[in-house]
Amino acid sequence: MIARTDHVAGAAAIILGLLVFALSGDLPFGSLSFPGAGMWPKLICVLMIALGILLLARAGASSPVAEIDWSNLRHAAIVTAATAAAIALYPTLGFIVSIGLLLAGLTLLERGRPVFAAIYGISISVAVYALFTVLLKSPLERGLIGF
Amino acid sequence: MEGTIDSLLLGFSVAFRPDVLWYAFVGCLVGTLVGVLPGIGPLAGISILLPATFGLDATKAVIMLAGIYYGSQYGGSTTSILMRIPGEASSVMTCIDGYAMAQKGRAGAALSIAAVGSWIAGTFGVVVLTLIAPPLAGFALRFGPPEYTALLVLGLIFLAYMSSTALPRTLLMAAVGLLLGTVGIDNMTGHFRYAFDIPELGDGIGIVPVAVGLFGLGEILSTPSATVIGKVIAPKLRELLPNRTEWRQSAMPIARGSVLGFLVGLTPGSAHIISSFLSYAVERRLSKHPEEFGHGAVAGVAGPESANNAASTGAFVPMLALGLPTGPVTAVLMAALLIHGIPPGPALVNDHPDLFWGFVASMYVGNLMLLALNLPLVGVFVNVLRIPYAYLYPLVIMFCIVGVYVVNSSIVDVWIMLAMGVLGYLLRKFGLDPAPLVLGLVISPIFEMSLRQSLIMSNGNWTIFFTRPIALVLMIIGAGLLVWSALAFVRKRRDWRSQLAEVEASE
Repeated sequence: MIARTDHVAGAAAIILGLLVFALSGDLPFGSLSFPGAGMWPKLICVLMIALGILLLARAGASSPVAEIDWSNLRHAAIVTAATAAAIALYPTLGFIVSIGLLLAGLTLLERGRPVFAAIYGISISVAVYALFTVLLKSPLERGLIGF
Repeated sequence: MEGTIDSLLLGFSVAFRPDVLWYAFVGCLVGTLVGVLPGIGPLAGISILLPATFGLDATKAVIMLAGIYYGSQYGGSTTSILMRIPGEASSVMTCIDGYAMAQKGRAGAALSIAAVGSWIAGTFGVVVLTLIAPPLAGFALRFGPPEYTALLVLGLIFLAYMSSTALPRTLLMAAVGLLLGTVGIDNMTGHFRYAFDIPELGDGIGIVPVAVGLFGLGEILSTPSATVIGKVIAPKLRELLPNRTEWRQSAMPIARGSVLGFLVGLTPGSAHIISSFLSYAVERRLSKHPEEFGHGAVAGVAGPESANNAASTGAFVPMLALGLPTGPVTAVLMAALLIHGIPPGPALVNDHPDLFWGFVASMYVGNLMLLALNLPLVGVFVNVLRIPYAYLYPLVIMFCIVGVYVVNSSIVDVWIMLAMGVLGYLLRKFGLDPAPLVLGLVISPIFEMSLRQSLIMSNGNWTIFFTRPIALVLMIIGAGLLVWSALAFVRKRRDWRSQLAEVEASE
């Protein structure tokens, strides 16, 4: 059997539906005359499982998983990792340092030129910090080192 | 009618205030830039700039954010015509004949026709909105929980019916959104649902981190810089005027696109994308020279560009009159109103007439601003396109992080945004449309509340949805659409939706 996109989507829907249903164990379903906190999520879980089964049943019409173009996966992985690192550092190092590093790092990866990347990262992050904190009065994280 | 004119005059008195005009202008300018730049759609643009409106009053905030929305429809045509890259999803159809016109040396004419068509359609949309939104809001005041439940059921079915992806796939995405919408404290009983002892999740998952993640970061993850290359054809200012034949050829497509786009805009789903596709299909069908389509047909630019602008205005009708979003963009605009303490819905027109009519009037002014911005300043926007994407996308990521963080000063929201970005990337790989997910997230609390209130009202009698006339009519329409879809599926008939899916897949 050829694995198709709807096989994956259908299986994921069923697994997610079952998982959330299991997590909803302590939420009361209530009754029709007084629905509890668990009724709505459990109804959606049932709907998801039903849709997952439907997708599996008619998966033949979807395209094979092998045909998915993953050529941009490397770019996606690098950007995700860099963004995750910046978010993790954000509360500790603050906006200017963490975002400056993110901008400089990605620019360096794309174009080389370390000096330009560093100037680009620092100048943009300082300018945006000033824009939000001074002009828009929306405070950004200062971090342990004070800015 | 007299009352409408008086109210509209009140709206203009708000819209012509210098500070309001300024924010309308900023919204239109940013919207044009958002439309021009590939990789940033109107949803990401609005979500990122949402925190910047916190210091404003609700009227200015919604006027600026709406300006970004309809401004992006104008700007999206520039990259389509000059680079064959749709700056915005609804401009996909304009790429075909717009770029072909540019290659023939008619880039300026194509830009003018797109801008004028957008202006006519946008203004037409606002006129109809002015006329129908207030009476519709008055009618909606008769809606109780059962009617809202039936309307939301119909909305979901319509969303699935109008989608270019298969009905179960669209409904599945909506279901994921509905499920995400259950996270947090249950308003009726106080139970914590799926919060996993994370205090920030007590208020639920916000629309902004989900929307910015799926549409902003998700788009960046899917677009490596090496793939964004394109030769920009720079038109000269004196070449901007179309000739008489081109004006004549564009007149009827603009008229048809305006009406069609507005009607499609009223329905749930990615209306501005669907409307431009439908308009293109209609124009090709009606043309005496269908062979010209794909080779620089004027109608292939005028129709779709008018339709997507009329659709973006039409989408405001359910939002303003019923308090229901028909797409992710209107969902975020609704969130903006809620953040400012103003619940959108039928009572909006009576409770906040200055906001409602000021908003409507600002769209008349905004459309004029966009016409003035898009033609003479096309050279400036072309220069923006010359900024290498390698420098641009790190900036977009930064604004995604800042935009999400500033809403609640919550780093948990930023992590949710990153997770949604990865999810958005994967959904695109598997051909699943993320838009219904955002819609599901927004309507989930309203849907759950109205369903539970209906059942409590009827003492558990579910026939309440079939015994009240308005709810019954809405349910019958929904059932009819389901039967129609099932028949099309059984007959395996190719209709406009499958054609749209093919175009989107090839884009």
